[in-house]
Amino acid sequence: MEDMLIYFEPFTLPFVVGSLFMFAVIVTKWSFWLMRLPRVDRVKIRRGLFTRQTLLGAWEVVRESLLHVRIFRTNPVLGYMHASLAFGWFLLIVVGWIETIVYLGLKPVPLQGHVFFKYFAPHLNLDAHYAVFEHLMDALLLVVLIGVGLALFKRVRSSVMGMRRTTKHVLFDRVALSALWFIFPARLVAESLTVALYGGGGFLTGTLGTYLAKHLPYEILDILCMQSWWFYSAVLGLFFVALPFSRYMHIFTEIPLIFLRRWSLSPTKERKSYDNFEVEACSRCGICIDPCQLQADLGINDTQSVYYLRDRRYNMLSLKVANNCLMCGRCEAACPVGINLNTLRLNSRAKRRNIPNEGRYRYLQGIDTSSGAGRVGYFAGCMTSLTPAVQRSMERIFAAAGVDVWYADRDGGVCCGRPLMLSGETDAARKMVECNRALFRKHEIETLVTSCPICLKVFREEYNLEGIEVLHHTEYIARLIASGEVRLARDSSIYTYHDPCELGRGCGIYDAPRTVIGAVGTLAEPAHSGRNALCCGGSLANTVINDGQQHRIAERMTAELEATGCDTIVTACPLCNKSIARASRRPTQDISEIVAKNIL
Amino acid sequence: MRNIVFGYGISRPRAIDMDNNDLRKSGDIIAEMPELQACIGCGSCTASCTAGRLTDFNFRKLHTAVRRGEYKGVYAELSKCMLCGKCRLVCPRGINTRGLVMLIKRKLGDF
Amino acid sequence: MAYRVVVVGGGAAGMQTAIELKSRGVEPIIVERDIELGGKARGWHKLFPTFTPAADVIRPLAQRVKDMHIRCFYGQEVTQIAHDGVTLRSEERIPADAVVVATGFTLFDAHRKQEYGYGLYDNVVTSVDLERMMIGGKVTLADGSEPKRIAILHCVGSRDEKVGQKHCSKVCCITGVKQAIELKEMYPTADVFNFYMDIRMFGAGYEELYREAQERYNVHFVRGRISEAAETIEKRIQIKAEDTLTGRPLRMTVDMLVLLVGMSANYDNPQLAASAGLTLAPNGYFKARDSFLGVVHSEREGIFFAGTATAPKSLADTLAEASLTASAVDAYLKNKFNVK
Repeated sequence: MEDMLIYFEPFTLPFVVGSLFMFAVIVTKWSFWLMRLPRVDRVKIRRGLFTRQTLLGAWEVVRESLLHVRIFRTNPVLGYMHASLAFGWFLLIVVGWIETIVYLGLKPVPLQGHVFFKYFAPHLNLDAHYAVFEHLMDALLLVVLIGVGLALFKRVRSSVMGMRRTTKHVLFDRVALSALWFIFPARLVAESLTVALYGGGGFLTGTLGTYLAKHLPYEILDILCMQSWWFYSAVLGLFFVALPFSRYMHIFTEIPLIFLRRWSLSPTKERKSYDNFEVEACSRCGICIDPCQLQADLGINDTQSVYYLRDRRYNMLSLKVANNCLMCGRCEAACPVGINLNTLRLNSRAKRRNIPNEGRYRYLQGIDTSSGAGRVGYFAGCMTSLTPAVQRSMERIFAAAGVDVWYADRDGGVCCGRPLMLSGETDAARKMVECNRALFRKHEIETLVTSCPICLKVFREEYNLEGIEVLHHTEYIARLIASGEVRLARDSSIYTYHDPCELGRGCGIYDAPRTVIGAVGTLAEPAHSGRNALCCGGSLANTVINDGQQHRIAERMTAELEATGCDTIVTACPLCNKSIARASRRPTQDISEIVAKNIL
Repeated sequence: MRNIVFGYGISRPRAIDMDNNDLRKSGDIIAEMPELQACIGCGSCTASCTAGRLTDFNFRKLHTAVRRGEYKGVYAELSKCMLCGKCRLVCPRGINTRGLVMLIKRKLGDF
Repeated sequence: MAYRVVVVGGGAAGMQTAIELKSRGVEPIIVERDIELGGKARGWHKLFPTFTPAADVIRPLAQRVKDMHIRCFYGQEVTQIAHDGVTLRSEERIPADAVVVATGFTLFDAHRKQEYGYGLYDNVVTSVDLERMMIGGKVTLADGSEPKRIAILHCVGSRDEKVGQKHCSKVCCITGVKQAIELKEMYPTADVFNFYMDIRMFGAGYEELYREAQERYNVHFVRGRISEAAETIEKRIQIKAEDTLTGRPLRMTVDMLVLLVGMSANYDNPQLAASAGLTLAPNGYFKARDSFLGVVHSEREGIFFAGTATAPKSLADTLAEASLTASAVDAYLKNKFNVK
């Protein structure tokens, strides 16, 4: 009987050609990307390959590429949609494979034999033990069909899946998406028609097939059956051809990405081949759109990370899209694939603007007329000179704790370099880094305290200040309180804390400010706080939006802070301070101010 | 006395020649960011300027020169800016000064 | 029976409107938030450009209100306005045949410009603080000593979008000139520097006073806005500005920094406007029906404006406008009730 199974029919051609094409393109892409990895990255791969990380990576692939656990956490319905399509389809393939093996034994069967097994072996399903597979396959098909139904529904009413807005797609995506939507209904119809002609089938195809058999004459069923298999094969083929050029490339790209990341590869300030894995691992699910305040508050909807990655991938990235981002990191925190969105966007800016110019900032040479010394260096930051209350408060705190402090920029300093880096001029920024580093070294400080989270981030990440501990003043104050060097009175005020992006998501400092506020009064958390905190809109990373737009973002987020019913709004960044003070009638203070006024 | 030198010599005509100056480039810049025209010349940007403390960099004069069609030396002068953003914070007209520095540099030269 | 008109606010505009109405046979009722009449002008020492003591204007007005037996509610805040009366915070309603909104303005809170260090540095004061000191007879530094070098900064909370104040407050320039002269008269050897963006001398006699300040009193005018201030150990104030006329940054240390605070719209304007169905201008002031023929009319019948409720104005302009308001209200009442 097995000999009667010939695994070829003309209708399988679109599928066969499509899938071969797809695998060829994917393998080419991967080899290309891997070959062009810089040496450091290749060394990392070699070192990581035979470690526990590889096993953990495999487990992560199951969790994220198949089950989409992180999306489940964002929204269960959305998670089901992704998981049913990915994991459901995967099981259909695996169980289908087992089905052929169980029936035919371990013998070579070409790809199309597995995929169109129902067509090639319609009469086998009369066997009783086989019914289990029929029902199982039908159940899996149903799971996937529900996923497709949800995907269609999401196009119409995305709010059910916790998404106010979904992604606008490019042509390749639309082709692939349309094909994908047809694949499983086409399979249902083809299998049902086959059942109608030959009998058998599970609870789904069987019922539908019996119904069709009852209502349509044999001749028509025969014609329809062939046509439906053609259609099924055609949409499969179409999907596979479009896949490597569409967002569905993410299905295969996320797998190597997970491993590469496990082997500690990551994007850097300069673009490199590894970025391709991150860029193409974006499924354009659009989860990054809603957290974006440019979208929520300003209605700008062409610059979110999903569009940025899309434009970068298709080589149509405009300067405006690259620049129009607050780099608040809210999308990065929400991204289910864990793409390093900020770093990627920064290296896009660097590609355009990082123009080497040795003569630039030569004026920084020999400007140092600094004096004084101290164990602790305090770098207020450029912006802090516009919030003198912060400087004043820090002076009082240092004095109260009897700290031997050297004021690095009391008479004006040199910019830390991060604003320039944020606009992509990484090489030019090195001049400032070197200038300030030399200054800190000269005064032999052991601890560097700064009041500006923007400076803090660059001090920590780019300055290589071995031997000097770099702290934000919130952390420093928290230590002084813990060690008893500063003793504070509690007041009856209710304080709401705004997490500055650069301090929270940027440097991971969430607890220190809360500890400090807890020591002087009652803390009331706004609706979005910690990792989810909103951006004040004043971000230096964005040079596109205008003043009014910045202010609108500030107003929206400030309204949320005020809604806590607080007496005072507290923050820990001079820039946030300015944005909030402008938008609120409540007193807005830096964390150092509320500490200084409560010193015993 | 320190003078602002934009890199031109003494042969430069004394007057700004608005009959012959080419205003196309400045028109381009203004079309992209019309807020440049909103400057009331208060000098807050220059007063607070981090680079201006160390050099004779003067953003107010530079962008005014650009608006008059006087581009010579402006690019090199603008390269002194550290882009720290204080000027944007103090501008009473809410002008996106950092964006403007980048825009003018782009239009006059590099990227 | 006389028609009854509620005048919301007992400052210069409210008093003058009430007096004019009363003399036209209408019965005005003043509702004042404070415990006495006079409004902001009670805090001024002398008025520009003539150096007339403010009390010489405000006291006679208050006396006339008293003499004419105009009813006044004190310490009462109006929360709702309608064409036929107002509602107080106590929920008491005062019915009327027409309502005049003479609610005035709010002084800009200088704390909001943290870079100038008001409330942080001992010797940074506002123009209002300076008036208060002058009423007290002596302008001194925090430690009681005499200032030798004073900077007066124009446009604090005016023409500044960073604090939501896009408009020009109109009176600060001339106030700055006036105060500079007063300081020079008090301390002839002191140096006074006015830092300005533009000098706007729109009123009769203002430009002349400006010239007098320059020539006769040797007040220094620097065209540049101070961007930040810092305090030295000796409690002096270090200021940074650009001297835009020479195109160079300017640094100087002064004994005292005076901030010429601007005029903000009242914070409760949105609430009052909503209750009456009135609209506000983008800067938060009430919007008059027409800029030429309806400056004291609101967009609602029976509701009128007087004084700085609609825009920053000088005291002289306010008083002139209040008379106009009274005449408009009178005409409205006569027309409405067909009085011949």
